[in-house]
Amino acid sequence: MRSLKDFFESHREHFSEGGRFEKLHPFFDAVETLFFIPGIVTKTEPHVRDSLDLKRFMSLVIVALIPPLFFGIYNTGYQSNLASGLPVTFMAVSLKGLRIVLPIIIVSYAVGLAWETLFASIRKHSISEGFLVTGLLFPLTLPPTIPLWQVALGISFGVIFGKEIFGGTGRNFLNPALTGRAFLFFSYPMKMSGDAVWTVVSGVNNQAVDTFSGATPLVVSAVQGSADVIESLLVNAGFTLPKLFYGLYPGSIGGTSALMCLLGALLLIFTGIASYRIIFGGILGVLFAAFPGYIIGLIYGGSSIPMFALNPFYHLVMGGSAFGITYMATDPVSGPGMNISRWIYGFFIGALTVMIRIFNPAFPEGIMLAILFMNLFSPLLDHFAIQFRLKKRVPNV
Amino acid sequence: MKWRIRMSTKGFNHKFRYEYCKIKNFILYYPKTLRATDRLMIEIRTRKGYDINIVGMPSHNLETLEKPASVALLPERIPFVKPRLKVKVDDPVKVGSPVFEDKRNSQLVFLSPGGGRIAKIDYGPRRVIKEIVIALDQDEGYETFPLISEAQLEGMERKKLVKTIMTGGLWPLFRELPFRDIPSPDVVPPSIIVSLNSREPFQPVPEVYLNDKVDLFEFGIKILNQLTETLFISSSPGNNFVPNRLNTHVTHTCEGVYPADDPGVLLYHIKKNPDENRSWYINGQDVLLLAMLFKTGKYPVDRTVVLGGSLAKEKKHFQTRMGVPLNHITKGRADDNGTARYVVGGIFKGYSEPEDSYMGFYETSLLLIPEGDEKEFLGFARPGYKKPSRSKAFLSVFNPSALPLDCNRHGEDRACVNCGFCAEVCPVDILPQFTYKSIIADEIEEALGHGLLDCVECGLCTYVCPSKVELSEVLKNTKKAYYLEQL
Repeated sequence: MRSLKDFFESHREHFSEGGRFEKLHPFFDAVETLFFIPGIVTKTEPHVRDSLDLKRFMSLVIVALIPPLFFGIYNTGYQSNLASGLPVTFMAVSLKGLRIVLPIIIVSYAVGLAWETLFASIRKHSISEGFLVTGLLFPLTLPPTIPLWQVALGISFGVIFGKEIFGGTGRNFLNPALTGRAFLFFSYPMKMSGDAVWTVVSGVNNQAVDTFSGATPLVVSAVQGSADVIESLLVNAGFTLPKLFYGLYPGSIGGTSALMCLLGALLLIFTGIASYRIIFGGILGVLFAAFPGYIIGLIYGGSSIPMFALNPFYHLVMGGSAFGITYMATDPVSGPGMNISRWIYGFFIGALTVMIRIFNPAFPEGIMLAILFMNLFSPLLDHFAIQFRLKKRVPNV
Repeated sequence: MKWRIRMSTKGFNHKFRYEYCKIKNFILYYPKTLRATDRLMIEIRTRKGYDINIVGMPSHNLETLEKPASVALLPERIPFVKPRLKVKVDDPVKVGSPVFEDKRNSQLVFLSPGGGRIAKIDYGPRRVIKEIVIALDQDEGYETFPLISEAQLEGMERKKLVKTIMTGGLWPLFRELPFRDIPSPDVVPPSIIVSLNSREPFQPVPEVYLNDKVDLFEFGIKILNQLTETLFISSSPGNNFVPNRLNTHVTHTCEGVYPADDPGVLLYHIKKNPDENRSWYINGQDVLLLAMLFKTGKYPVDRTVVLGGSLAKEKKHFQTRMGVPLNHITKGRADDNGTARYVVGGIFKGYSEPEDSYMGFYETSLLLIPEGDEKEFLGFARPGYKKPSRSKAFLSVFNPSALPLDCNRHGEDRACVNCGFCAEVCPVDILPQFTYKSIIADEIEEALGHGLLDCVECGLCTYVCPSKVELSEVLKNTKKAYYLEQL
């Protein structure tokens, strides 16, 4: 620890003003403060401050992301080996998963951090910890077959146009990770949707590939014109409700398991880092929007839009709804700040997710579009919530 | 039985009117059996705020300190006053001799807290008068002021009463909300609020400073009743002393966490129209000074102060006088090797002073807190069983004991991420994060609309901010600038 301190002290001069790497000071600062909380003391009252800082705040989100991350690694390897006809032992699957997922995460962090450092260096401020979350959220929403150059492109777009051109962390109105994903989704739909992208097929035994169907539950349920009841369609494809809940099926890297998201959500809610209002609002929104169709489907039988009659709980566990509601919708910067508007915001994210899935089968990625759409509305929701609240005040001018 | 009622403040002492409470944030209670002659004690519950639980809280023991060698006046620490000196270095002064007056109103005089001679006058940057130090004589002389009995007080004209308090040098004890300036003597306040205790853990408690002085306090209440029609006296529930001894006087009990019993918070909860915004307040302990001035005919200098903080060896109350040197209180009681920060006036609202400075006119609290300028290895990743935090982000959420806290900011400056923690603690329902942003964008009207002037400057928003934004400083400075522009 002492030698580490000495290391930073001895290299500080190169990164401070006039040094060789003066421009890289934000990077030096970010690395140093990762190891040491600086000894800055208060100058004005209040003389004491809470122990919580933004680093702790954001690292708790990272901790909450560990369950979906680890499960995502396992699941990616599992699906890959299953499809390729390779052994599915724990070790083999985990290693395979790591081999697929780790490069994506490393590229996401490296490229994003480069942009962050560039902007921080020009603006002469320090690198915000918010990026640690963005850089991990983004790869978890991608299909495992994504080419690495697209990962780099996506995170670049997310960081620059989702955040930095508006002034950096705290001033962005869109979720940067989802902005990057939306960019990839619309620019390279062949690599981001369909049923071929969700499993990495590799290895020796190529015969197994023929029997493998890579469709995700969203693709299965978006099939139009089927007279079958949607649930039997899903079950026939192997997607039972428990399976979707546990998450061992092909899909985006981190978004398949609702159970893991639930664990993360519990941690975020308990620590107060994420607003429980947004999460519960989102769940309510999904159930509320999906329920009428389900009832109608039960009474009158199948519908021309199969998704319409789907059991509301399916909506919660498939297509990354759980992941989106837990980790994306609760981003405090792009979400609203008033409690009442947090409920509304969460509710509409849930409801719009279902609406998009039902009425726009071309873009079944409801949750991503719903969150980005509601991001746009959160300042407006806040505005009305504040106006409403100020009416109750006795004026003091 | 609990009733949600709204209280009419007009003619409060004589007549009560209840309506259903429309304000969500508090619930008022009144006793089951209410007779017409009963005084009503109204309970106000504030849900927001935060009780800090850190080591170094003072005990209720009281020790009387010996006489110091010198005392001082710190004009710099009296808000908004523009001092004009009336003494020079080496001038002899008595207790109660005028030392300086306010240039804005020459009737507003500040008297010497000691008898002796002026030892030095210290100037700060831009010739601001920092300290006027008075070296004390062995036998101090006293200026005499008129003795006023209770009977005389009854029939006294308001104007004459005000003049007596002003020449007695105690008018600055009154402060006018929302800017906390010393009020103009010509104005009749909508109400005067007396706050008996403070939920701030490092302020003197009424059990100590009112002990044996209840009669004196009651006389002080009579003086205040002559000054205003509406007098509110608030106390915190949870101790038996005040309810038992002062039951007939206390009008409100403020239940809740810090700063539930700040006069500004009380006013925020009970006011019903904008006229009441300019209410005055006075500290519970200062009411005693008023009474002493009238009863003894001398300028009162007695003060009960508190010494606390983790670096103080003896954490308790001290009976001493106004303007004592800080090291007179801490002599032999500091455990710091000279590294402690001396905080005068409370942990949230106080200011830091060098060790050789003095207590101010208003301040009754001295804290010795570790500076905490050490780097902490992997600080953000530690479990934090001993890190005090309002959030539940550390394991200290399972640790009920009082925890050590130093002056480290525990983090670097970051942009506001709209987490809303500040709005969760604001006792007067300002939305500090939005108000702060509108101030930064120069939208002062919007900030005022948010209730900027209701801000009680409790400092909690800054305390909880994970981005370490100096919220309360920004709000306070904006308030001050707005006030100075109005003058």
